[in-house]
Amino acid sequence: MTATNPTTDAAHQKIAITVDHLVKCFAEIEVLQDVSLAVPEGTVTSIIGSSGSGKSTLLRCLNLLERPDSGEVCIAGERFQFGNGQRIAHSDLERLRSRVTMVFQQFNLWPHLSALGNVIEAPRHVKRLGRRQARQLGEHYLEKVGMIDKRDTYPVALSGGQQQRVAIARALAMEPEILLFDEPTSALDPELVSEVLSVIRDLADEGRTMLLVTHEMHFAREVSDQVVYLDTGRIEVAGTPESVFNDPRCQKFASPTA
Amino acid sequence: MTAMQPESLLDWAGPIANGALVTLQIAVLAYAIGLLLGLIGASAKLSPIPPLRALATGYSTLIRAVPELLLIILLYYAGGDAIEWLLSLFGLDSRIEISGFATAVGVLAFVQGAYMTEVFRGAIVAIPRGQIEAADAFGFSRWTRFHRIVLPGMWPNALPGLSNLWLILIKDTALISVIGFNELFFTIQQAAASSRAHFVFYAAAGAIYLLMTMTSTAIFERLERRVRRGEA
Ligand SMILES: Nc1ncnc2c1ncn2[C@@H]1O[C@H](COP(=O)(O)OP(=O)(O)OP(=O)(O)O)[C@@H](O)[C@H]1O
Ligand SMILES: [Mg+2]
Repeated sequence: MTATNPTTDAAHQKIAITVDHLVKCFAEIEVLQDVSLAVPEGTVTSIIGSSGSGKSTLLRCLNLLERPDSGEVCIAGERFQFGNGQRIAHSDLERLRSRVTMVFQQFNLWPHLSALGNVIEAPRHVKRLGRRQARQLGEHYLEKVGMIDKRDTYPVALSGGQQQRVAIARALAMEPEILLFDEPTSALDPELVSEVLSVIRDLADEGRTMLLVTHEMHFAREVSDQVVYLDTGRIEVAGTPESVFNDPRCQKFASPTA
Repeated sequence: MTAMQPESLLDWAGPIANGALVTLQIAVLAYAIGLLLGLIGASAKLSPIPPLRALATGYSTLIRAVPELLLIILLYYAGGDAIEWLLSLFGLDSRIEISGFATAVGVLAFVQGAYMTEVFRGAIVAIPRGQIEAADAFGFSRWTRFHRIVLPGMWPNALPGLSNLWLILIKDTALISVIGFNELFFTIQQAAASSRAHFVFYAAAGAIYLLMTMTSTAIFERLERRVRRGEA
């Protein structure tokens, strides 16, 4: 079954990410089987699917935390082909990853740095911004996620929701072209979910290009321009939220009341 | 004999203080070099390159398996011969004497490095994977990742082990007396033998070692509090 291409009406939009016939195996098992996908610039794509369907793997193939076995990824103006034995230089990876940043399920903040320290670490040491400039940038984005009051607090003293907002500020501070979210609210207590979702909603409203793996069906429906339903490594359904959530193949997984 | 005024602790205060200073110098230098060797050893042990891993494993396993006293004697003799042999390879035939100080530092550093290799390896492996992955996901180069994320992330895990090794090292400097170098213990032995006030001098030595170890324990505790400021 081949992937459906996005059916957004903005056909003239520039494409931020193209995934072509991507295959990824872990120990002989094809975790991604011939996945193809296009994400137009300035749109939000949600990836849904049951546990183990390959959502994280797909996301991690986009910033090459996982190395696909074959296929092609064009992202942020860079083209990567896999399966032809070609080596990818570390400097190419570094450039790609400074332009496509990620927010993790488990936040993964660096515990030895304060909130601000976490946010300015990559701008300082990857983009090599000066101290003053990085600090301004860091404070700007902490402000944006409502965490400026906690700029000097270490992650251990922050709640899960606060940690995740700092992690989002950290991803924003690189001023990336594309943001990747891997289940950003799944590790949170229910009462902390909404503060993180509201930050992500604001980002969506700004017209940022985002890919979001999520189990929050209502939220996905609300913010997405495109929804992709993954099932055991294949894209079963893709399209507008309405079309996907109303598709019978998707019903068993994501009834709108879920 | 009875006519002679017995030598008192005071008469030996100068040499003993000097010996204590030398002991501290040896320990600090050996520790610093050991830290470096340990970092290199741990990086090698965790590297994806098999020969490097084998070399580091050989080093840490072998050194830790042999009594330190024996190692000190072995390295003292073998080390001198090895350096002479190396020099002869380059046609330099001059018999150079390696100072007792350099030998002491070299030998102890080599032994410390083996133990530190293990401490650092364990401390690095204990860093949660996600923190390393986050560094990768933000485009850190390998070196930046190492010195900005891995090193600071590892210190809290490594410090208890490192503090232990420092205490062991201070005490191991006493073993250096077997090669006849006048650090603290050697000086005390001489004083005790010459004055025959064995108990007094050895007790004094004990007190001095105690002072050194307790002071350093306090310093390590402060350090640990500092590197753990991001923890509970
Ligand atoms: N590093 C790995 N080594 C081996 N198998 C892996 C690895 N990472 C993922 N897998 C396997 O690949 C499959 C897809 O995993 P993935 O994490 O992408 O699923 P997911 O859709 O994100 O699931 P979840 O909703 O639980 O996060 C799973 O069967 C998983 O066991
Ligand atoms: Mg996942």
